[in-house]
Amino acid sequence: MVGLLEYAVIGGILYGLFFSLIGIGLNLIFGVMRIINLAHGQFIMLGGFGAYLLSRDLGLNPLFGIPLAIAGAIVIGYPLYYAVVPRLQKSHDPEMLSFILFFGIAQIIEALAVFGFGADQRSLPGDALGAGNLGVLGQEFPDSWWVAVLVSVLAIGGLYGYFARTKLGYATRAIMADRDEARATGINVDRVSAIAFVMGLALAGAAGVFVPYLLGSVSPDIGTGLTTTSFAIIIIGSLGNPLGTVVGGLVFGLGTMLMQTFYASWSNLVPYVLLVVIVLIRPSGLLGKAVRHA
Amino acid sequence: MRDRGAWPGIVVVVLLAVVFLILPHVYGNQSLLFQMMTFVVLTQGLNLLYGFTGYLPFGYVGFFGAGAYATSLLVLHTDLPVIACVIGGGIGSIVIAIILGPLLRLSGAYFSIANLAASQIMFFVVSNGNLSKITGGPYGLKIDRVYAPEASYLTMLAILLLATGLAAYFRASRFGLGLRAMTQDPVSAAMAGIDVVRQRVLVWLASAGIAGLAGGTYAWNLSVFYPDAVFTLQISVFAIVFALFGGVGTVIGPIIGAASLYLLYNGIGISFPQGFELLYGALIVLLVLFLPNGVSSLLTRRGVRVF
Amino acid sequence: MSSEPLLRLDGVGKAFGGNIVLNRLSFSVEPGEIVGLVGPNGSGKTTAINLISGVHRADAGTIRFQGRPVQGLAPFRLAHLGINRTFQVPKPFREMGVRENIEVAAHFGGARGMDADAVLAEIDLAGHAAIMAGGLTVNQQKMLDLGRALATDPKLLLIDEIGAGLNPSELGAIANLLQRLAQRGIALIVVEHLLDFLNRITNRVIVLGAGRMLFEGTLKAASENPDVVAAFIGG
Repeated sequence: MVGLLEYAVIGGILYGLFFSLIGIGLNLIFGVMRIINLAHGQFIMLGGFGAYLLSRDLGLNPLFGIPLAIAGAIVIGYPLYYAVVPRLQKSHDPEMLSFILFFGIAQIIEALAVFGFGADQRSLPGDALGAGNLGVLGQEFPDSWWVAVLVSVLAIGGLYGYFARTKLGYATRAIMADRDEARATGINVDRVSAIAFVMGLALAGAAGVFVPYLLGSVSPDIGTGLTTTSFAIIIIGSLGNPLGTVVGGLVFGLGTMLMQTFYASWSNLVPYVLLVVIVLIRPSGLLGKAVRHA
Repeated sequence: MRDRGAWPGIVVVVLLAVVFLILPHVYGNQSLLFQMMTFVVLTQGLNLLYGFTGYLPFGYVGFFGAGAYATSLLVLHTDLPVIACVIGGGIGSIVIAIILGPLLRLSGAYFSIANLAASQIMFFVVSNGNLSKITGGPYGLKIDRVYAPEASYLTMLAILLLATGLAAYFRASRFGLGLRAMTQDPVSAAMAGIDVVRQRVLVWLASAGIAGLAGGTYAWNLSVFYPDAVFTLQISVFAIVFALFGGVGTVIGPIIGAASLYLLYNGIGISFPQGFELLYGALIVLLVLFLPNGVSSLLTRRGVRVF
Repeated sequence: MSSEPLLRLDGVGKAFGGNIVLNRLSFSVEPGEIVGLVGPNGSGKTTAINLISGVHRADAGTIRFQGRPVQGLAPFRLAHLGINRTFQVPKPFREMGVRENIEVAAHFGGARGMDADAVLAEIDLAGHAAIMAGGLTVNQQKMLDLGRALATDPKLLLIDEIGAGLNPSELGAIANLLQRLAQRGIALIVVEHLLDFLNRITNRVIVLGAGRMLFEGTLKAASENPDVVAAFIGG
């Protein structure tokens, strides 16, 4: 039993760090634009298929899926941002309308993914990211997990550095704090927001690269589940703070791994129960103002 | 007050009754008509909540599934007449809605996503193999001893009329005027003397009850079903898309939206589901950007008052 | 009637996240009285109104209306009891007709039979009864807020900065209206920066500074009080 618990805890930390990366793009876009990217999970799914195709058809290392995700995010993200986001922000209820609109986008992406890739689950040979297992405290996990965790930590650290050290990151934080004031101080809100939007999609796509490994496979229908899970994670953590998302990811990762280890048949409930419980016990303070004043 | 009275509502209800009583004699595929009515009911039920309070229940299917299971379990374990079991399904969903009542404290998107999560929880619990003895787990339930396509068709029609009647009441009554006020500004509505929380909860329970009744009748009509047949997220999605397309906050918008898009789905969607998914995905985007009040608002813009 | 005032606050306090915005506020208001509530920005005036109208809940102290404690009651119950208000940034039902705005309050406000036309005439919006409230000017929307409050047949009205942005003749008309309401027996608490306006309609003002009550008395006496002067100049 002791070995099992250690396995679950260490696995949960690794899994959780990876899921911080899964959630962080949604957090970034909401934090900067107050727009809910309900197609978040579908963008992760696209990243997964990108890595799958690079690996299967071109024989490349799936890690090349990361630059591909960035390129894809630029190509899709910029036009998408300018086509819908400024318009949504002028509407009477940007949050709810973006929620519905991006739900539509999610359906479009899912349908196109079925056209392009087929509806089947696709998995990758485990050895593309290293064939061995790496152990900690006597608990072994596949190399692919460690690579995913390394990339997650680098990406989140990089985002933190962007916020803390760069001029654009500073402008982004100003927008998160107060959009109108940021505009008044001469920040080009649309340009900075568009960059954050593209970054959010790129982070989602990059996370997707590891989905075939950590979730076993990728298929067009995994998006909604990933979006809901991401929601749970960023609601547990706190908004706009990348470290908050890491906390959320860790809670989710540990919860899932402990359940999988000890009550496997109920583990699929973890993100949903976490989400409902968290929004009910701490509806405010976690993700901005979630409570109606009525 | 623009006093429209009860007449438009009565006209719509009578028209629906006549149409769905005659159609099975003209068009042989009663199962298709039943499915279509089911979606009109669900779309109208979702409209009750979303159109009149602004809360979009992404997990609306949870109430449908809960009704299906509650009804079936009553059929299996009691000697009650089936109609009573269907009503029990509606009550079961209302009980779930009471348990989930605190979700109404959440605003917009948080409510929607938490409601979605709640419906997923119900699905995973019901379909869990550990509960096979009660719920049938992944294999679902079988109530074929009460199979009765005619009676279940008429029951669904009665629920359709009930849902439409409720929407008409919300549209034309003082209660509905209060709902409109609180959707536009809950604080001012409270200062105008409206018990915002009570009104919102009543609508929530009515909306859940409609889905529960529909779920129970649907289970009765199928008589054998897997959990995903009554809990698939697709049902919520269809109800949302149909309602948005027709125009929420009206009585006839959801009827038009659900009937027309369901026919389209039946024409292309069943054989070519991705094509239909692509179509309604694009439809949602276009509606939000260009026609947020649905196709019925095309008439409103021309000065026609859509009921 | 007992000697109990219409409204009485005793040691009322409110903090938001550890930040005390209102500290031990005590005062009372009699029927038909117009009381001015003045103070620099952030002194707690609007918070006081939010507490009395139930939009926020007081952390400390008691609020009595007609002798009964009312803190913690939902705003709609307070509206039924006869407490109503306007908002600094007006909050009409934008996509409803002007007349419907009034009718909602007349129907739900516990004063059925209130004549919407009379209210519309009172707030000078009778000519706009059929248009959408969102199409009114901001000043008209403020009047509509007032009309909605009046339609509930209030005993106590809380008026939050109704005068800002009005020209002298409009101000005069509002002053007359508020005085007429007071003569009918309605008590009014008026938050206002325009001291001339207050001077014209009130015989008593309460001055707040940084969440505390600094002074209570006539406006003239207030302007000579060193604490008040310091708060306005220093604040």
